[in-house]
Amino acid sequence: MPSSKKPKRMTRRQFVAAGTMGCAALAVGCKEGNHGNWDFLNDAQARTLTAICDQIVPEDDFPSASQAGVLTYIDKQLARHYRRHRDIYRDGLAQAGAMSRERFGQEPAALAAPQMAELTSAIEKQNRKFFDLVRSHTFEGYYGAPRHGGNRNAVSWRMLGMAEPPVNGRAQYDLRKGSA
Amino acid sequence: MKRFFKFAAIAAGIAVLLAVGGTYGASYYYTSQYGQGCASCHEMATCVSVVHSAPHRTVGCMECHEASLATKLRHMRIHIFGTIPENIRLRDVDVPAIAENCKTCHQHEYASWHAGPHSVTYSQVFADPVHNSKRMLMDDCLRCHGMYFSGSIRDLVKPLNTKGPWRIIRSGFADQAAMPCMACHQIHREGTQETKAASRISVAGAAVPESLAFYDRRETLHFAAATLSIPQLHDGARAVTISQDPRQALCYQCHAPRDPETGSVAAANAWGPQVGSGDDRTPMGVHEGISCVSCHDGHNENTRASCKTCHPQMSHCGIDVERMDTTYASASSLHNIHWVKCADCHQHGIPKPKTPAAVKAKLRTTPGMNG
Ligand code: HEC
Ligand code: HEC
Ligand code: HEC
Ligand code: HEC
Ligand code: HEC
Ligand code: HEC
Ligand code: HEC
Repeated sequence: MPSSKKPKRMTRRQFVAAGTMGCAALAVGCKEGNHGNWDFLNDAQARTLTAICDQIVPEDDFPSASQAGVLTYIDKQLARHYRRHRDIYRDGLAQAGAMSRERFGQEPAALAAPQMAELTSAIEKQNRKFFDLVRSHTFEGYYGAPRHGGNRNAVSWRMLGMAEPPVNGRAQYDLRKGSA
Repeated sequence: MKRFFKFAAIAAGIAVLLAVGGTYGASYYYTSQYGQGCASCHEMATCVSVVHSAPHRTVGCMECHEASLATKLRHMRIHIFGTIPENIRLRDVDVPAIAENCKTCHQHEYASWHAGPHSVTYSQVFADPVHNSKRMLMDDCLRCHGMYFSGSIRDLVKPLNTKGPWRIIRSGFADQAAMPCMACHQIHREGTQETKAASRISVAGAAVPESLAFYDRRETLHFAAATLSIPQLHDGARAVTISQDPRQALCYQCHAPRDPETGSVAAANAWGPQVGSGDDRTPMGVHEGISCVSCHDGHNENTRASCKTCHPQMSHCGIDVERMDTTYASASSLHNIHWVKCADCHQHGIPKPKTPAAVKAKLRTTPGMNG
């Protein structure tokens, strides 16, 4: 077979293969490995971030940061408006994992409360930039508008004594004046 | 030349294959077992996993959602090329089809909702000459009357004045229900299968159906009934006893009182929101402290059938309450069932009650009667 023909046959084959793959991708869906339900985080990162956020806002009579949806908030924003912070999160979470394994031989999510507190202050000292970012984002997620993914059921607003949505009638004729 | 044709033929063949494959693939997603197909688009995963832990776990996505081929291809396009919105929400044009699908399985609830006041259409609410000639249309109306409409009032009705004649300008909306099932029920939520309503009507406990939630159009989110607040209302200076039944917190979102008008006696004395202001119907008098839902039973909000759950056992007067005149809508009627007091009928002194005070007190602290 003349070698000059070979590339052309390959092209056709590649072409067909590409077409078939396109179909297959469409039919099977482009599932991304370990992303679970998150837009940006992977499951391991989410577990570590949960542990840190819940140190910042722990559960008391009201839900903790993660129970109030702070993780959803941060994850959505990292996939959108906060793309610029992705590297800080990626590195910070990896570092937190490494520090935890080194000190306690466990992932952050598996630590007991006092150990996690210790780890959190260590992160605060060693990677201030990351910690400050997580802290502000946790507060944004906890106290911000529920539509952005955090503050589930407006729980922090209720904690502050604000009814959400407020009970607020329309302006109308007063029934007791008998004008109905 | 020959080679070119061969190439072109193959290209055309593949284009057809892609089109067929893509279309088939798109359709396949939607119909596969309980949404597993939908979940293969990662942005749908949360939705699917939530449905799977909710009471509708055995219901396929497509039994509620309708998706034309064009919709499927649009989703596909956004999935592959587009930016996925922060919150994936239904478009308002997709809502009526879903609401209609609820009927297939919930015939009883649908029929009674349809027969009741909450099934009013956009045109009944927004093109009502009596109402519109007294009050200006505004965006705030949509909070209670058109929560799933995504535009502003000017996209819905014309003209925006008190002269009229008014008409719905958004095509296809005039005859759609303005407060569909989802105005009060959150379908996509985590939660367990619930017991049937019949077992809840006992006085033993007022379990709150977990689905009960108010759809807030500003946040485009549901707020669970149990997290909504019940206002503290006054009759003049007196704080009225109000049932803490969380189910009625939902009703208060729309049947809501208002702060006293400036210049009113209540405002001058800083009495706080009054019973009967705005659209409030909080009971006072003989039925004070009883939840809306104790009497407004079922989706048609009829009350006649409820009287016999408490009467005649709790009656003093031997009148047939099931047949009495209960013209509550007129505040001046002595029979206004929300506010009638013993003294309204017994104007020359109230005979000694037969129901001992202790029994009454017990009734009012019994969950289900009083939350
Ligand atoms: C029992 C009916 C029902 C089933 C089953 C159902 N949905 Fe829904 N879905 C709804 C309703 C009603 C809404 C309107 C949202 C709202 O306001 O609650 C909705 C909204 C949505 C939305 C918009 C996002 C949101 O939360 O409002 C998406 C996406 C969606 N559904 C996807 C799915 C997928 C995927 C499945 C299958 C796993 C599914 N639905 C199964 C009734 C259903
Ligand atoms: C294919 C049938 C089917 C369709 C369509 C359907 N449902 Fe259901 N629904 C069920 C089943 C099954 C249950 C659970 C059984 C039970 O508890 O009675 C249920 C339970 C419920 C409940 C009580 C449980 C809960 O979530 O709190 C509500 C409320 C409800 N459905 C509302 C709706 C609404 C609103 C729609 C339309 C958007 C709808 N359903 C569409 C079958 C269906
Ligand atoms: C706080 C929620 C709320 C807002 C805001 C609201 N309504 Fe209503 N509306 C209700 C309730 C509740 C009823 C039923 C009142 C009743 O029958 O007791 C009602 C009844 C109506 C009716 C039926 C006839 C009547 O007057 O009772 C019309 C028409 C109507 N509203 C139009 C409007 C328009 C137009 C606006 C905006 C100017 C508006 N509503 C704002 C809650 C609201
Ligand atoms: C105005 C608010 C409202 C609307 C609109 C509404 N519902 Fe309901 N629904 C309720 C309330 C309140 C209850 C609980 C009654 C109780 O617990 O006694 C309820 C209960 C139910 C239940 C039983 C829930 C359970 O856990 O057993 C089903 C099913 C249901 N509704 C379906 C529907 C369907 C289908 C529609 C639309 C056709 C609809 N609802 C529209 C307020 C509403
Ligand atoms: C989403 C807003 C909304 C919620 C929530 C709501 N309603 Fe209504 N309701 C209305 C509107 C609007 C009307 C008037 C419809 C019309 O006739 O135009 C109405 C009418 C009624 C009526 C008939 C009043 C009359 O004058 O004939 C009754 C009774 C009623 N509602 C009871 C309830 C009860 C009980 C609840 C709580 C389970 C409830 N509603 C929750 C909006 C709401
Ligand atoms: C949840 C229980 C309950 C329901 C439902 C109920 N009532 Fe009553 N009603 C009472 C109680 C309790 C009293 C007595 C209050 C007292 O002694 O202060 C009462 C008193 C009355 C009275 C005063 C006269 C008398 O015989 O004591 C009238 C009239 C009345 N109800 C009418 C009705 C009508 C009409 C209905 C149906 C639309 C109804 N009630 C539904 C609990 C209820
Ligand atoms: C809707 C009007 C109405 C209301 C409200 C009402 N009553 Fe009556 N009541 C009557 C009528 C009518 C009779 C029968 C009078 C007769 O037979 O002469 C009656 C009779 C009675 C009797 C029996 C008197 C006797 O001599 O046998 C008692 C006791 C009584 N009422 C107590 C009350 C109490 C307590 C309340 C408030 C909780 C109340 N009523 C509210 C209309 C009312």
